[in-house]
Amino acid sequence: MKPSWPRSLLAHAVLCAASLVMLYPLLWMLASSFRPNSDIFTSISLWPDPFAPGAYRRGWSGLQVSFGTFFNNSLVIAVLAVIGNVTTCSLTAFAVTRLRFRGRDVFFALMLGTMMVPYQVTLIPQYILFLHLDWVNTALPLVVPKFLAVDAFFIFLLAQFFRGIPRELDEAAVMDGCSAWRIYWNIALPLALPALGTAAIFTFIFTWDDFFGPLVYLNDIETFTVQLGLRGFLDSSGTSDWGAMFAMAVLTLLPVLAFFLFFQRTLIQGIATTGLK
Amino acid sequence: MAGRPTARRRGIPAGYIFLLPWFLGFFGLTLGPALASLALSFTNYDLIGTPGWVGLANYVRILTADSKVAESVRVTLLYVALSVPFKLGFALAIAMILNRGIAGLPLYRALFYLPSLLGASVAIATLWRTVFSGDGLLNKVLLQFGIHGPSWVSDPDTAIYTLVALSVWQFGSPMIIFLAGLRQLPRDIYEAASLDGATPWYQFWRITTPLLTPVIFFNLVVQTIDAFKAFTPAFIISGGTGGPINATLFYTLYLYQEAFGYLRMGYAAALAWLLVIAIAGVTALAFLSARRWVHYEA
Repeated sequence: MKPSWPRSLLAHAVLCAASLVMLYPLLWMLASSFRPNSDIFTSISLWPDPFAPGAYRRGWSGLQVSFGTFFNNSLVIAVLAVIGNVTTCSLTAFAVTRLRFRGRDVFFALMLGTMMVPYQVTLIPQYILFLHLDWVNTALPLVVPKFLAVDAFFIFLLAQFFRGIPRELDEAAVMDGCSAWRIYWNIALPLALPALGTAAIFTFIFTWDDFFGPLVYLNDIETFTVQLGLRGFLDSSGTSDWGAMFAMAVLTLLPVLAFFLFFQRTLIQGIATTGLK
Repeated sequence: MAGRPTARRRGIPAGYIFLLPWFLGFFGLTLGPALASLALSFTNYDLIGTPGWVGLANYVRILTADSKVAESVRVTLLYVALSVPFKLGFALAIAMILNRGIAGLPLYRALFYLPSLLGASVAIATLWRTVFSGDGLLNKVLLQFGIHGPSWVSDPDTAIYTLVALSVWQFGSPMIIFLAGLRQLPRDIYEAASLDGATPWYQFWRITTPLLTPVIFFNLVVQTIDAFKAFTPAFIISGGTGGPINATLFYTLYLYQEAFGYLRMGYAAALAWLLVIAIAGVTALAFLSARRWVHYEA
């Protein structure tokens, strides 16, 4: 059902206009990060003229701690979160889809149930717990839960995938005397690499963008993630160095943009099949 | 003997060993804390002293005496009621246009999806705050057309709409789910309808919409729950205050202030449980109403 050319031209016009309106603020922010401060609130163009990249240098050392520290903190937390989520969620998903044991279906139902529970309801006791463990102002409250398979969404995503692996593979492996562990490690995981990749990318992006967790658990500026660092620019409003703030905002978006450019297909398929963000 | 790997001979089934991390997480970080917060909600715990039992006092105060709760509920409901329909409307409209076999589909799809991927970050929230400020980008653009706009973020009448706009801007992810749904629709029905002289408008309302109701329902539930839980944009745009004059005081933001600003942990736990009840209630209502309007193929 190919549309005739005037209609398709109209459709392209609508789509181009919509994309332009949507992307304009992003491109304007990019342009503004290369402008002198005096131009930022006067220019609506997408071309910085004069070109002034100094904001990046000012922003990088604009707070009492270098932005490099924030990047480092964010990276450590995000990478550990990816490792935790991929290992423990895949173990859990494998167990509830490929192994037989008493109570399995009840456990799976509980996992799906926890997806509906808003985090606010566990927030305060978790905070009290981590406070008493002396974990506040460390990465532990943000990382350890990932090693305990609390992100039920990724269990669900991986379970959907494990279900699709033919049973005959397991059976043949059992005949050959393989343990459950060997089946998980040598058969299920290699076959599930695309799904593990999707889970890893989304975990990285969600953790990188997370603001609430770091806001609650990290108060010492040395431990800040990039999201908290960026907020620091808004708070020290006396300076109002908008160029520096935009420059650092652009930098914090870069890792996510890189994932978008390289893994766009994986991301879009992940949403289409699971309804993720 | 289908798929019954070994290990069970040796006592503990392998499944329980695989589930060990999840057991720890479920009991230690989900179920335990959820019950603990229920218990805390009947106390006046302030993180420093010992929790004192106050019975239903927190709930009574929330429901009858706290005017900020009433305001935050109003702001949150307004946000949900505006952002969800507009977001889904845009998502469906653009998905319909993209589904017509248009050239460059992957590029458009990627461009429209990009805001969904970036939107949760502090960077975008700060950008929003500057775009909608008095001398911000939007007013500069409006000025080209001779319109003098207000300071959208600091005017209590308009502040909430900037947050709605930020949410609608991220219509890309429901759009992708709509596109996947549209792809599944059977072609032959449309061909038959065209032969019978059905107009595109008629086809949209009588064929596409009913067949797509399961996907619409899914998006509606997911986006509504997400909207209830939104926090970061309101926090950044208002500088953590929920201002101007509580105009952006999301319920979640008020809960955060009570818990971590004033350390009223018991009161905040009660707020959290009411949020759970509200979300569960709205979800249950959605599922009940689904019987009337969602058509699953037999």
